[in-house]
Amino acid sequence: MSTDHSKVEYLKPEVLKSLGNLEMIAKEIVSGQKVGAHRSNLKGFSSEFSHHRPYAPGDPIRDLDWKVYGRTEKYYTKLYEAETNFECHVLLDASSSMNYASGEVSKLEYSKYLAASICYLILNQQDTVGLSVFDSRLRAHIPPKSTMGILVEIEKSLREIESLPKDGLSKQLNDTALQLKRRSFVVLISDLLTDVDDLMNGLDHLKHDGHNVIVLQTLDPYELDFPFKGTWRFEGLETDEEVVTQPDRIRAEYLSNLEKHLEDVQKRCVGSNVDYLLLNTSHSLGTALSRFLQNRSIDRMSPTSGVSS
Amino acid sequence: MSFMSPLLLLSALGVALPILAHLLNNHKYQETSWAAMRFLNQAIKVKSREIRIRDLLLLILRCLAILLLALVISRPLTEEGSALAEFGEKRVGVIIALDASYSMLHEEASKKRFDLAKEKVEKIVANLTSGDPITFLLLGMEHRVLLRNRAYQAGSFQELLDAQEAHPEALDLDNVPRRLKELVDEMDAPQKEVYIITDAQEQDWKTGASRLQYALKDLSERAKLFMIPVLGGHENLSMTNFEFLSGVLRKGTTARYSVAVNNYGSQPALAVKVSGKINNITVDNQLIPRIGPGEAETISLFMPFQNPGPAKISAHLPDDALSIDNVRRSVAIIRNKVSILCVENKGSGSFLTSALLAREGGATEKDYSVTSIPWISFPAHDLKLYDVVVMSDVPTITDDQAKKLDQFVRNGNGLIWLPGESTKWESWNERSKLGSAFLLPAKLEGLINTGGAMGIGRPLSLDIQEHSVSNPLRSLSEDLLSEARFLKVYQVDPSPNSVTLLKLAGNAYPLLLEHSHGRGQVFMFTSLAGSEWNNMALTPLFPMLLQQMVTYLTAREFEKPRLVGSSLKLSYVEEPDVTEAVFETPSGESLTVPVHSHKDQHSAILSQAEEDGFYLAMGTLQSPPLPIAVNVDTSESMVKCLNADDFSETFKKTGVNVIFNDEELDEALIDSRRTHSLWKFFAIMVCLIMLVESLLSSRLPKAKKSPVTQKGA
Repeated sequence: MSTDHSKVEYLKPEVLKSLGNLEMIAKEIVSGQKVGAHRSNLKGFSSEFSHHRPYAPGDPIRDLDWKVYGRTEKYYTKLYEAETNFECHVLLDASSSMNYASGEVSKLEYSKYLAASICYLILNQQDTVGLSVFDSRLRAHIPPKSTMGILVEIEKSLREIESLPKDGLSKQLNDTALQLKRRSFVVLISDLLTDVDDLMNGLDHLKHDGHNVIVLQTLDPYELDFPFKGTWRFEGLETDEEVVTQPDRIRAEYLSNLEKHLEDVQKRCVGSNVDYLLLNTSHSLGTALSRFLQNRSIDRMSPTSGVSS
Repeated sequence: MSFMSPLLLLSALGVALPILAHLLNNHKYQETSWAAMRFLNQAIKVKSREIRIRDLLLLILRCLAILLLALVISRPLTEEGSALAEFGEKRVGVIIALDASYSMLHEEASKKRFDLAKEKVEKIVANLTSGDPITFLLLGMEHRVLLRNRAYQAGSFQELLDAQEAHPEALDLDNVPRRLKELVDEMDAPQKEVYIITDAQEQDWKTGASRLQYALKDLSERAKLFMIPVLGGHENLSMTNFEFLSGVLRKGTTARYSVAVNNYGSQPALAVKVSGKINNITVDNQLIPRIGPGEAETISLFMPFQNPGPAKISAHLPDDALSIDNVRRSVAIIRNKVSILCVENKGSGSFLTSALLAREGGATEKDYSVTSIPWISFPAHDLKLYDVVVMSDVPTITDDQAKKLDQFVRNGNGLIWLPGESTKWESWNERSKLGSAFLLPAKLEGLINTGGAMGIGRPLSLDIQEHSVSNPLRSLSEDLLSEARFLKVYQVDPSPNSVTLLKLAGNAYPLLLEHSHGRGQVFMFTSLAGSEWNNMALTPLFPMLLQQMVTYLTAREFEKPRLVGSSLKLSYVEEPDVTEAVFETPSGESLTVPVHSHKDQHSAILSQAEEDGFYLAMGTLQSPPLPIAVNVDTSESMVKCLNADDFSETFKKTGVNVIFNDEELDEALIDSRRTHSLWKFFAIMVCLIMLVESLLSSRLPKAKKSPVTQKGA
């Protein structure tokens, strides 16, 4: 896939922020991706599945495939084409920790653009997309729709939310799982600064319900590199803690802890067939989206992982 | 522990700086919100104690470094035996004073004392460390400092030492302690040592012992003082005198020179051959059969002069253990002939002409002529044809004549002046004044009658000035001297630089005065040789004096021999057309000296003759070189050394260590150098501490740890 570099440069989060209108932002990002890639990207999202599965108690009797029964004397449930319509649900973490910004763009804003872009992409394919915003609990839920108006609703939802610290992701993910009626793509956008077991608990629930789960972890470059010099006082965004320290002295330990956490998340996502991508908020959104789409292997439906670069 | 610069210990107060920085550092910080507190807290939990300990350690190290740095610049010292001594190094400042007077050239068993002394110097410096401060000086009439508080470097010092030779001069011992004290005071070293290496001549060290003891005691309180004698034998023959005795320094004549030879040894010297040389050609040899120990013998050398012009005259003894004092030199200007112009008031026929001609061969001698003229015809005579002018009873002269006479005398000729009845003394006083100088050696103040009541006149005073003109009179009997009676004399006011050779008894009226004028001399009588004035002309005194004067004025050496260390002066008759004169040393080196003018006198002065031999002075490019004899000071010839016991006794209770042999020197070097300098040790400590501090504070370059990366699956 060829890349228009001028466009990529234009898609820097700081520049996008100045655009203001989310639909316009999403359009800019997505149109940047579509240059020279007319067919390939969206193809990955079209879920053409029609197969049988063994009958399970509770399945409607009318869905039994009697022809197969006639040949094999075994019950199989037939999945109709009408149920295979593509539906995507974006979960956006809007907890306090997402407000951290070393530069102009916070993780939350970056995530917002990312969510809007994904929504735009899907809507552009005449598919449906829904959105949930959560912090310590589910704050807003926009059911799947197929109109661009959802972008306006996303912006409205985020504006109304007063960020609170999150105490875990499993609850929110479980809530989302309960609300999703159909098997969907679930895209989780969060900094994942939470307990990994708790996260995996929620993700496993989604996987168990048959959803395809994609995890996009957004982290600030300062969180990734910890390049502070001198003496600093750190005030916790999700706690009331305050720490005064000389960061350059504990940098190695910090990076080691962070790396351990990221490795843990990545390994366990792969283990649970969850797609995982680490995104640096200083990088271009277009690049991030491109990496996301490239890593998707919709045909095999197998999980992938990676970082945006 | 002691300190060379204790005041600099105050710099230890700088320890407050790191403490202040530490305190300020902990209270000044930037703020930020932070999401990933969980990783930060984990890191701090791991590191906080470590960081606290490291901070404390860093603070301690920095404070320690500053304290040690204060110690370094205060330059700590410790004594041998203290716990720190083995970490320090023996640093010592050394002042080596080497006797370089010419007695050090005396040979002892094929080696000169000076070379033996140099070996002692090598031994002293062998234990020095590179960089130790060292001062090295040669002692002589002038003490030459060759190295002054410089860092010792073995190679360059050895080169310097090898290049040194003793100087042909005596030792001025009186100045040595004072000079050494100055050098000790200016030396910057934890421990100072002064070594004096000398042949300990008895005449120097015994005579000035009490003065020296006091001065050296004072010096030994400032530095450790070591006296290293280079003792030896004292056999030495020395030529102590060589001077013109009699005769005329004229072409074709022979002059007699007196030579004195001293035997300073303990054995009699037998058959001592003395050679006389003119321009380095031997012209006379004399043999002294025996010179007893401690005795001096005088003989005469006869020098025949074949050629006019300046002659280098020298007398030589055969080589012995100290040969530098075996030769003495002199210079004479040999004239072609001697012509005397006798100017009298009433023409010839006076006592004067008879007295001047009263000599061997008389008036017939072809190289000696006396021309007598009345004063009226004086202006018509060219003075360049004469060597001496005698003016007797001349009433007065004109200004032009005065100038002519002035020029005549300045050129190196002689004038003899006698007053008389016709003399207009006020006019002479006036004419005699030439600028700031006077032609005559005294101012006339009027005639005095010294005939007394009896009219028998006043005799000569027996107090006769020592002078080559008046010396013959000293040997005359008292009766003969008292025969001369003086009835009238001029009272005079002698000029400051004149010498009164003869005076009358009792009231001490001067009779004969002399002074130098330019390169010539003027003699002045205050009484005329005439019966109304005195009976001098009837006694042998008058011809004797006149003959001596003529000989003195014509046979005078051009320049008196000089001693090494004295100045050499070249006088100009007229203002020279050059600004510089050139002196060529006996070793052939050319020294340029500026010509100075002062009150119509022009001269070039070489401030110091450093070599013995004949210097050549060249006033202008055209003028022929004039030799100037330079001899050594014979006071150094008595080479006898103090014996070891006397030498030790001399320095008893003065704090001076006397060292006679190498073993004693080795022991003294070990014993004396007990002070250890610790600054280098502390400086290394500071460096190590700073290195550890850098490592701890991660200031050293290290591999940059890359930020978090994850490989895509």
